[in-house]
Amino acid sequence: MEAFWIILVGSLIAVSCALLGSYLILRKMAMVGDAISHAVLPGIVIAYLLSGSRETLPMLVGAAALGVLTTVLIELFHKKSNLQMDASIGITFTWLFAIGIILISLFAGQVDLDQDCVLYGEIAYVPLDLWITESGYNMGPRTVWIASGLLLLLLLFIWRGYKGLFITTFNEEFAKALGIGVAFWHYALMGAVSLTTVISFESVGAILVVALLIVPPATAYLITTDLKKMLLLSSIFGILSAIGGYYLASLINGSIAGAIASVAGFLFLCVWVLELLRKKRVISI
Amino acid sequence: MKTKIIILLTAFALFSCKVEKKDAKKEIETIVCTTGMLGDAVKNIVGSNMEVITLMGPGVDPHLYKATQGDLKSLTNADVIIYNGLHLEGKMGEVFEKLEKQKHIIVATAGLTEADYINNTEFQGAQDPHIWFDVALWTKAVQFIGAELALLSSDSVKKQIQMNTENYTNQLFQLNMDVVTQVSALDSTERILITAHDAFGYFGRAYNFEVRGLQGISTTSEYGLKDVSDLVNYIVENKIKAVFVESSVSEKSLQAVVEGCLQKYHQVRIGGQLFSDTMGEAGTPEGTYVGMVKHNVKTIVEGLK
Repeated sequence: MEAFWIILVGSLIAVSCALLGSYLILRKMAMVGDAISHAVLPGIVIAYLLSGSRETLPMLVGAAALGVLTTVLIELFHKKSNLQMDASIGITFTWLFAIGIILISLFAGQVDLDQDCVLYGEIAYVPLDLWITESGYNMGPRTVWIASGLLLLLLLFIWRGYKGLFITTFNEEFAKALGIGVAFWHYALMGAVSLTTVISFESVGAILVVALLIVPPATAYLITTDLKKMLLLSSIFGILSAIGGYYLASLINGSIAGAIASVAGFLFLCVWVLELLRKKRVISI
Repeated sequence: MKTKIIILLTAFALFSCKVEKKDAKKEIETIVCTTGMLGDAVKNIVGSNMEVITLMGPGVDPHLYKATQGDLKSLTNADVIIYNGLHLEGKMGEVFEKLEKQKHIIVATAGLTEADYINNTEFQGAQDPHIWFDVALWTKAVQFIGAELALLSSDSVKKQIQMNTENYTNQLFQLNMDVVTQVSALDSTERILITAHDAFGYFGRAYNFEVRGLQGISTTSEYGLKDVSDLVNYIVENKIKAVFVESSVSEKSLQAVVEGCLQKYHQVRIGGQLFSDTMGEAGTPEGTYVGMVKHNVKTIVEGLK
């Protein structure tokens, strides 16, 4: 049962990340997940200073607010000052992280306060963290509900907004000419990214989310240029990583998140080598 | 789409079932402890009656601990889970709080009162979690754990647990007196303990030491240049002979302080390594709580004398 819950949560998060990650890679914003993982620090500190508690909820609210602010700032620097996207991401998250550190040393040096202690969850705790109702019914792990709710929302968003996201991702100028709100779709996507990453950080930890956001979509991008296929393939690679990673972790008694990320990287390597061989016509697939 | 949602919801409904807390009278077999200090205390309390598993090995920083696949198995199979509390275990502590409904959970610091805690901030609930450096306070926590474990055990084991607890706390009383005698070799002006991060607050309060750390409790915030120069001035003014490194924090930061003092023509040396958040390797004398405290006190007294 534990194996089932961990793989289920891993897969749910993997699919959410794979869907959003595909768009991020196509928009050359793959590192945005990593940026958010650092940039949430001032949000956590401010939430703590205001609420005086290190409970999950205020931390989550503070982190989500900063996640959205990060994506807004990245876009602002990129658009208004013609900065390259990667430079814009770099400036934004280092600056916000630095502000967070200064806030800690100014106001909370005697409190153990950082993302690792108060925000990042750990996928190994999924089967332990049960949602038990007042009347004593066990509804299964809390994170399963959160992760499946998140995935449903994302599927709805991509299903309803597929055309808008598609056209603004591939041909911004054309979209503008058609009168489609480029900024609207960009911020909608970025809002989805910040919420997904912050909620997933709380459920399964940061490294896993950053890896799943980039590696499975990058693997899918090696073999297809069709967006629909890419979304599907990256979800499949994400699920395979979750399953393989869990069993690798139980084999070596190691960190589950680390093992899932490693398997994702290994899958990328395999696909890359196969593609190279195929292009040189050594084998035919 | 709709059918998928319905299938998903029914799948969840199937898994939901009534939770039953483990029967209070069922014999306890395995106990899981988070830190090495707790594991050592509990092993002394229960003897060979129960299996005691410690999650955090030597050299592991409890603030940054990440569970492995095997730890998850230990936690699910455990009858009792004992942890330090006061946010020492970070997010893991929150998970344990929720486990309360299914397992017996003992929070070591719950046996103490508000007055026992040190809180250097204006925030409520931001107490310093490193209570084990005050041996008397730790004794109180151990007594509490022993009493709780006795409550959960059957009559035959109960007596033994109560006896073991008494024996072990007597050892700790003795240890506390030893510490007091040893530190009495130092004048009150010599009792200044400088370490890399602020973990020795309880030690300072219990044995009248002025405690200074280069960093706060959180190890994320880097120390500033002003922190270093303030500390250097403080050392030079008070003619302090030694500063101390910790087993779980890099000693590089304190090197800067030592060099800063040299430039002001004051010789201060690194007095040795103290065990702070973890104990030494199992099998060595420092691998037990008593051995660890003895090592720390000996190092501090020899360094400052």
